[in-house]
Amino acid sequence: MSTVPIEPLLHHSPLRRTSLNGARTFLPSSLNLRCHFTSKKLHSIGRGIASGNSLGFLSSERRRSIAIRASSSDTAVVETTSQSDDVIFNENFPVQRIDKAEGKIYVRLKKVKENDWELSVGCSLPGKWILHWGVSYVGDTGSEWDQPPEDMRPPGSLAIKDYAIETPLEKLSEGDSFHEVTINLNLESSVAALNFVLKDEETGAWYQHKGRDFKVPLLDDVPDDGNLIGSKKGFGALGKLSNIVVKPDEPGADVQEKGKSSSGSTKEGKGLEEFYEEMPISKHVAGDNSVSVTARKCPETSKNIVSIETDLPGDVTVHWGVCKNGNKKWEIPAEPHPEETSLFKNKALRTRLQRKDDGNGLSGLFSLDEELEGLCFVLKLNENTWLNNRGEDFYVPFLTSAALPTPKTNQEVSDSGFTAEIITEIRNLAIDISSHKNQKTNVKEVQENILQEIEKLAAEAYSIFRSTTPAFTPESDLESEDEKPEIKISSGTGSGFEILCQGFNWESHKSGRWYQELQEKADELASLGFTVLWLPPPTESVSPEGYMPKDLYNLNSRYGTIDELKETVKRFHKVGIKVLGDAVLNHRCAHFKNSNGVWNLFGGRLNWDDRAVVADDPHFQGRGNKSSGDNFHAAPNIDHSQDFVRKDIKEWLCWMREEVGYDGWRLDFVRGFWGGYVKDYMDASKPYFAVGEYWDSLSYTYGEMDYNQDAHRQRIVDWINATSGAAGAFDVTTKGILHAALQKCEYWRLSDPKGKPPGVVGWWPSRAVTFIENHDTGSTQGHWRFPGGKEMQGYAYILTHPGTPAVFFDHIYSDYRSEIASLLSLRNRQKLHCRSEVNIVKSERDVYAAIIDEKVAMKIGPGHYEPPSGSQNWSVAVEGRDYKVWETS
Amino acid sequence: MEVSVIGNPQAKICRAELSFRELGFRLGSGESRNKVCFLTHQSSKWKEIRIRCSPRSVKCEAIVSDQAPFLKPTPNPRSQLESVKLFVGLPLDTVSDCNNVNHMKAITAGLKALKLLGVEGVELPVFWGVVEREAAGKYEWSGYLAVAEIVKKVGLKLQVSLSFHGSKDPEIGLPDWVAKIGEGEPGMYFTDRYGKQYKDCLSFGVDDVPVLDGKTPMEVYGGFCESFKSAFSDYMGNTITGITLGMGPDGELRYPSHQHETKPSGTGEFQCYDKHMLSALKHYAESSGNPLWGLGGPHDAPAYDQQPHSTSFFSDGGSWESQYGDFFLTWYSSLLTSHADRVFSVASSAFGGSGVSVSGKLPLLHQWNKLRSQPSELTAGFYSSNGHDRYEAIAEIFAKNSCRMIIPGMDLSDEHQSLASLSSPESLLGNIKTSCKKQGVVVSGQNSSASVPGGFERIVENLKDESVGIDLFTYQRMGALFFSPEHFHAFTVFVRNMNQVELSSYDQAGEDEAQTVSLGSGTGAHSLQTA
Repeated sequence: MSTVPIEPLLHHSPLRRTSLNGARTFLPSSLNLRCHFTSKKLHSIGRGIASGNSLGFLSSERRRSIAIRASSSDTAVVETTSQSDDVIFNENFPVQRIDKAEGKIYVRLKKVKENDWELSVGCSLPGKWILHWGVSYVGDTGSEWDQPPEDMRPPGSLAIKDYAIETPLEKLSEGDSFHEVTINLNLESSVAALNFVLKDEETGAWYQHKGRDFKVPLLDDVPDDGNLIGSKKGFGALGKLSNIVVKPDEPGADVQEKGKSSSGSTKEGKGLEEFYEEMPISKHVAGDNSVSVTARKCPETSKNIVSIETDLPGDVTVHWGVCKNGNKKWEIPAEPHPEETSLFKNKALRTRLQRKDDGNGLSGLFSLDEELEGLCFVLKLNENTWLNNRGEDFYVPFLTSAALPTPKTNQEVSDSGFTAEIITEIRNLAIDISSHKNQKTNVKEVQENILQEIEKLAAEAYSIFRSTTPAFTPESDLESEDEKPEIKISSGTGSGFEILCQGFNWESHKSGRWYQELQEKADELASLGFTVLWLPPPTESVSPEGYMPKDLYNLNSRYGTIDELKETVKRFHKVGIKVLGDAVLNHRCAHFKNSNGVWNLFGGRLNWDDRAVVADDPHFQGRGNKSSGDNFHAAPNIDHSQDFVRKDIKEWLCWMREEVGYDGWRLDFVRGFWGGYVKDYMDASKPYFAVGEYWDSLSYTYGEMDYNQDAHRQRIVDWINATSGAAGAFDVTTKGILHAALQKCEYWRLSDPKGKPPGVVGWWPSRAVTFIENHDTGSTQGHWRFPGGKEMQGYAYILTHPGTPAVFFDHIYSDYRSEIASLLSLRNRQKLHCRSEVNIVKSERDVYAAIIDEKVAMKIGPGHYEPPSGSQNWSVAVEGRDYKVWETS
Repeated sequence: MEVSVIGNPQAKICRAELSFRELGFRLGSGESRNKVCFLTHQSSKWKEIRIRCSPRSVKCEAIVSDQAPFLKPTPNPRSQLESVKLFVGLPLDTVSDCNNVNHMKAITAGLKALKLLGVEGVELPVFWGVVEREAAGKYEWSGYLAVAEIVKKVGLKLQVSLSFHGSKDPEIGLPDWVAKIGEGEPGMYFTDRYGKQYKDCLSFGVDDVPVLDGKTPMEVYGGFCESFKSAFSDYMGNTITGITLGMGPDGELRYPSHQHETKPSGTGEFQCYDKHMLSALKHYAESSGNPLWGLGGPHDAPAYDQQPHSTSFFSDGGSWESQYGDFFLTWYSSLLTSHADRVFSVASSAFGGSGVSVSGKLPLLHQWNKLRSQPSELTAGFYSSNGHDRYEAIAEIFAKNSCRMIIPGMDLSDEHQSLASLSSPESLLGNIKTSCKKQGVVVSGQNSSASVPGGFERIVENLKDESVGIDLFTYQRMGALFFSPEHFHAFTVFVRNMNQVELSSYDQAGEDEAQTVSLGSGTGAHSLQTA
C-alpha cells in the first residue's frame, strides 16, 4: 500500500480563499465587506461562481483550478473502475458546509478614576479576534487613521505600518466564550476619537460598523459620519443612515446596531460619557463533511444501484437527474423513483436522504436502468444552501469503458474558465505593457508569457492525445527523441551507464559532520562501481534534514559547512564519481512575516517578497500567480512563473555548479511546478545528470494495486516530457509494482500487456531512474517501505534492467552489501546501460525472468527458471534468496 | 503569435496608480503598416504609446484575423503571406460514431494554444456516417455542435468539411442505412474490373439515380446540407466561415483509382464497372456510333500497383492516345466534371446567401506526371482531349458555381520525390493554379497529411506566390503528432515565418515610413469577452 498522502481535494476551500481576498483587498481607508459577498455567493449559489467582475481578481484562477482538479479526478474514476467487477464507481467527496454562528460585540467606555478612562471591546463568538485600530487626532480631517500614542497600546499590540495597531482580544477567563481587549485612554493626548474594526484571524473576515470603521469619539466635536458609537449624535443619525454597506441578507457581515443598553453618568472632563453598547454579529463557520458515492452494477435486475451517504447534519435533499445519449443534460428517469422523491419543475428529482439505521449520517439508494450513462446531482441543505462538487455537479458515471464520454459540464466550466483566464492574463499583460516605460522589454515579456502559455497548452494536448491514441508506441517514439542532437547538448542524462548511490539517509544530519564521514567512504563507493553520488540538500534549512530550505546561498547545514561540502565534492571527483546536489525548488521557508503575520517574505541574498509565493495556497497569502503544479503545504510554494524567481534560481544553480562543483541535480518535489520551468533551469545550469522526484500514488482498487499502471507512469512521462527530456525521473511506478509483485507473490505484474516492463522504464528507459528505497520511503521514516527481506530481489531487478539504477545508502551498509556489490560489478562488467534491451521471458505467479541485451539473464521469485541452453553459454553470476542472475561467458 | 489586448470599460482593468479606463491594442487588416499603438484612455484624454515594428529582427509576431482585436503589423513586402488565413484541421475522429466528442480536453487545450498562436481557425470534418447514421433523414448533430461551441468560445473560426465518404483510419463508414441498402444494391458503389467495390463512397454513376429509399444521393446530400444549415444557423457566417463539400473518395474530386494506400507507386485503375456506369458507358458508346466500345473499360490498362509501362495503355502512342482512348477518357472524365457540378449546385442551393464560402477539394496526383500520359490523373478522371489543360474544365465548374478550390500537397517539393516515380508535385501544382487563375477560381491550400521533409518551407514558398493569391491555408491535422514537441515547435516557427515582424522598441517612433494606424478597442474584442 502506498502511504503517499492524497491531498485533500478541497484545499482551495472557498472560505480560506475568502481570507485571502479579504486580506488582500483590505485598505484601511476604504474598508468594505467584499470578502463577505464572495463567501456568501460561493457557498449559497454554488455553481454560479460569482462572476469575476465585482471581485476583481482571482476568480478566473479559481475556476481554472477547479477545472483541473475535476479533470484529474475524472481520470482517477476511469482508472479505478477499470478493474472492479460490479462496483463501477466509488468516490468520497469532501464537502464544506457553512454554518452561521451568532453572537454579539460590545463596546464599553468606563471611567476608572479621574482622567483615567478605559475602552473595552469584546466579542462573544469563538475565534481569533484581533482589534485593528487607530486614532484620530484633534484637527484631523477625513477618515485617515494615525498610530495611537505609545502609552495607549496594550501589551501584545503590533504596529501595522504607520497607521494602525493590532491588538488581540484575550479570553476573559478559561471556559468563558467572551474575548475582550481593554485600552487605557490617555486623555492628556490630543486624541479626538478612536477607530477600529474587528478582524477574525481564523477566517480573515473583517467586521465593521455599518460599513465603516467603528468610531468612539473622545471629544464632542468629532465629525459624525454616521458611524459614531456612544454619542447621542450617532444615534440620532441612525434613522437617516444611507451608507450602510451591509445588506440585511448578507449575514456574514451583520453588525448592526441594536441599541444602547445603558448609559453612564455624565462627566465634565472633556464631556466624556460612560456607555455600553452591544451589537449582534454573526460569522460563518466551516464544517468539513463528506459525501460518499458508490455505484454498483446489479446484473440480476439490470440496474445500477447508486448509494449516496453523507455525514452532513440536518435534512439533506438530493436534487438529481440522469444523463443519457452522451450529453450531460439532466433528464428525469422513468418511474419508479426512490422513496420520498418529488419532481422539481419537470427538470430534476428531489429525494430526501434517510437517516441511517445506526443514526450516524444519512443515506439514500437510487436504482437506475443500466443503459443510463450517469447520475448528476447536487445536495440541498436548506432553501438557500446548496452543495456541489467544487463548483460542478456531482457526476456518477456508469460506463466502465475507457471511452467514457468526458462529462460535458466539466468541459464547459473549464472552457469558460479558460477563456476568462486568457482574458485576464492578456489584460494583465496589457497593464504591464502600458505601465512601464521600457516597452521593449515588456513587449518581449508579453510575448514570452504567451509563448509559454502556448507551450503549456500544447504539452497538455500532446499528453492527452498521446494517451488516447492507441497506435502510438511511446517507447520507440520517445527513444527516437533521444537521438535528436539538440537534446544532447545538455542532456542531463549522462552517458547511460550511470549507477547512482543515494549518499545519505534520514538520520545523516545527526552527526553534524556527514560530509566528512562520506568523504572517507569515497574510495569504497568508487570501488563498488558507483558513478554518481546524490548528496543531501545543502542549504540552510528549517528542518535539519534540509528539505525546508531558507537561505539558498547559505550552504552551511547540519551536514557540514560549505567548505566541507566543497572538499567532499572534490574528493569524489577524484575517484571518478559525479555528484548531484539535492535542489529543493518547489518551496522555501520565509524569513519574515508580512503585515498579516504570515511568513511569506524572504531574506538573504534572494530577498523575494510575497510575489514569489504562489497565490493559491491560502496559508501563505502569496501574491504570485497560481501554482503550476501541486502544492506542498508546509512552506510557501515558489511561483516559478515569475521571471525574477526563475532568473534567481538559474543564477543559484549555476553558482552551485561553479562554487560547489556539483555535476547535476536531484530535484525535490517536482510535482509542485511545471516541468517546462525545469527545462529552463536545466538549460541554464547544464547538468551532467538530473533526476526529478515526481511521486504520486499508484492506482488501487479496494486496496489492491491495479495491474495497469499506465496512467501513473504516464504522469511521470508527461513530466519528463514537459522538461523536454532535460531531466529523468525516479521510476516510482516500478517501485510500486515491485512492492505488489514481491509482497503477494504476483510476479505476473512485472510484464505489461505489451510484454515490456510495466514501469516508466518500459516506456522511457533512458529517463527512468529506478530505485527501491530512499530517505522518505525507507530509512527511519518508512513512508512506503520496500517489502522487508525482499530488497535483493528488487536490486536484482533494477541492477540488471534498463534505466539508471539508484542504490540506497542504508542497503550498501547492510548485510546485502556483498550481493549488491556483485550485481554492481556485473552491471559494469556486462556494460548494461539505461537503454539496454530487455526481453521478458517469464512473468508468472511465482517467477519473473528476463534476458537483457542477450548477455545477462535474471529471475526473481521462488519459481523455477533456467536460461535456455543453446548457443549461449550461461553461467551463474550472482545468486541469493529467490533470485538468480546469469551472464554469458 | 498574437498579442492581444482588450479594452473593456466594464472590466475595469485599471490600476490605481495608472487609472486607465480603456486600453486598445488592435491589429487591423488591409492597409500596410508597421506600427502599433496602445491607446490609453484617461479621463477623456487620449494618450498614445507606440510600439514600432520593424520588418527586420524578428522575435515574435502576430497573425491574425481582421475581426479579432489583435495586433497585426503588416509590412509591405510580405503582405501576400500575411493575408493568408491559417486553419488547422481537427482530428478526423473528433466526433465518434456515437456522437461523443473524443479527446475533448486535448482539443480544448489545443484550440487555446492555436488561438494564442494566432491561428485563424480550425477545420472540422463532419461525417455523413456519424450524423445521419441510423436512418435516412435522422440527423444527430450534438457532437459536432459541441465542438462548434468550443471553437466559438475560444474565439476561433471554423471551416466545416461535409464528408460524404467513409474513412479507413479512423474507421468511419457510410451511414448504416446506406450500407444496408448497398448490400442489396451493389451497383451503387464504385467497382473495378475485378468486381471489387469501393464502399467508402457512392459511385458518380448513381448521382441522379434514386437508389437511397427512393431518393437520389444528391437529394440526400441536399437534405443533409439543409439540416446542417439549420442546426448550425447560430454559427453560420460568424464562427463558421466556410464549408467544404465532399466531392468523392476522401472528400477529393476523383475516382477511387488508388484504393489501397499500400502501394501508391502504381498507376491505379479505372473505376467504371458498376452497373450504372457500365450502362451509361454503353449508352454513350452507342450514341457515338461505336457500340463495341461500350462493353467495358480499357482491357489493356495496368493493375493498381503496376508500373505504367507494364501494359500498353499508358505508353507513348498507347491506347490512351488512340481514338478509343479519347472516347473512353472523355466520357470517364465528363462524369467527374458533372459530378462536381451536381454537388456544387446542391451546395449553392443550401448555402447560397448564408455568408459562408463553399469549396471543393482536388487531389494532387503527382505520381507519374512527368510521363506524357500522366496515368495517375487519367485513372482518377482528369483528362482533356488533344493535350489540352486537364484541369481547365474542372476549374470552369468551380468558377461557374463560385466555389473555392482546395489544393493539397503544398508541402511537397520535387527534390524529395523518388526519381523512379517520375513525379513533380511542384509543376502539377503550378499547372492547377494556372487553370484556376485563368478561370478566376480562388485557391485554398492544404498540406499532404503525412509530414514531409522541408514541408513548412515549401508551404511558405507556395503561399508567397502572388500570382494566384492563396488566402487560406489549412494545415492537416491536429493529433498527438501535431503536438509532439518537435513538430509543434516546427509549426510554431512556421506560423512565425508567415508573419516576419517584430515589435521592437518605440524609440524610433515617428520615423518616416512608419504609419500610424488604428486604435481604440477593437470591436472583435467581443468574441473573447463573451466567450
